[in-house]
Amino acid sequence: MFKELDPILHSQLRLSVMSLLISVKEAEFTFIKEKTNATAGNLSVQVQKLKDVGYIDVKKEFKDNYPLTTLNITAKGIECFEQYVKDLQQYLQVK
Amino acid sequence: MINIEKSNLKKMSQEKMLTEKESLDLIATMIQKAKGNFHERGTSAIMWGAVVGFCGLFSFFKFEYEINTGWFDVWFLTLLAIIPQIYLALKESRDIKVKTHQQEALNAVWIVYGITIFGVVAYGNIVPGATEQIFKSVGKELLEKNIASGEIKIYHPQVFSQSSLLLLVYAFPTLVTGLVKKFKPMLYGAILCYALFIASLFTQVKYDMLFNGIAGIFNWLIPGLILRNRFKKGLPC
Repeated sequence: MFKELDPILHSQLRLSVMSLLISVKEAEFTFIKEKTNATAGNLSVQVQKLKDVGYIDVKKEFKDNYPLTTLNITAKGIECFEQYVKDLQQYLQVK
Repeated sequence: MINIEKSNLKKMSQEKMLTEKESLDLIATMIQKAKGNFHERGTSAIMWGAVVGFCGLFSFFKFEYEINTGWFDVWFLTLLAIIPQIYLALKESRDIKVKTHQQEALNAVWIVYGITIFGVVAYGNIVPGATEQIFKSVGKELLEKNIASGEIKIYHPQVFSQSSLLLLVYAFPTLVTGLVKKFKPMLYGAILCYALFIASLFTQVKYDMLFNGIAGIFNWLIPGLILRNRFKKGLPC
């Protein structure tokens, strides 16, 4: 019996954000934007969705009078990401 | 493997649903993108390597040619180098957009190294005087005898071959960095440093100084210059 893939992660941009954050301790919003080539507006929406479900933490502060947004993956985010990869592998093995 | 090209990435704005294969490919691509982003400028390594290299070689020539520098000890330069070092480290940290677990761990190793070096230098400067005082407090004094003339005079304790200990400490963070980052120049530098440590156990102080200078050049200066060159070319460490 297959588990349903996590709908939060099974989306291109949100999965890209999580894949980038799983490799690092924390990353600035601009870094994520640069690596995903997404627009700031769309990225903000997807980041908010990931934050709402507790997969990432978002820290907002000021650096040299400019707003700075930093993202990092949470323990729950890591757990769900790992589960998502296991589920994907299960699907692919059967196919 | 499907390449997630720029054009595909731009489609993300449509929040595209993925097939299982595409999802796995995307994860692999993004992890690779994150990995390829970490650049080391090598500024700290160049600075420390240059200072320790210069101080070591200068001390060796000072002993060899009996150069009189009065009260000035060239090793004070290492203390002065701390100020620009902190300034540059802070300046560079502002440009870093992403922090990795590996870099955090290595930073901790280098902080511990700094504390240890400070401790070893303090040990070398404090222990001889303290030992003398401890002997005096129990009414004793150390004496040294000239075998040839039979002359006996007060002996002031000293830490023998303190530079050997410094070489041992130099090798530790360099080897850790070389192993963790799989950066061969630092790995070889650290191995050379251990070899110099063993040699220094049997040599005079002036050669210990020379070994310190060589260690500074091969542990940090040369690897730092290689890192700087890679950074300029946009290559990851």
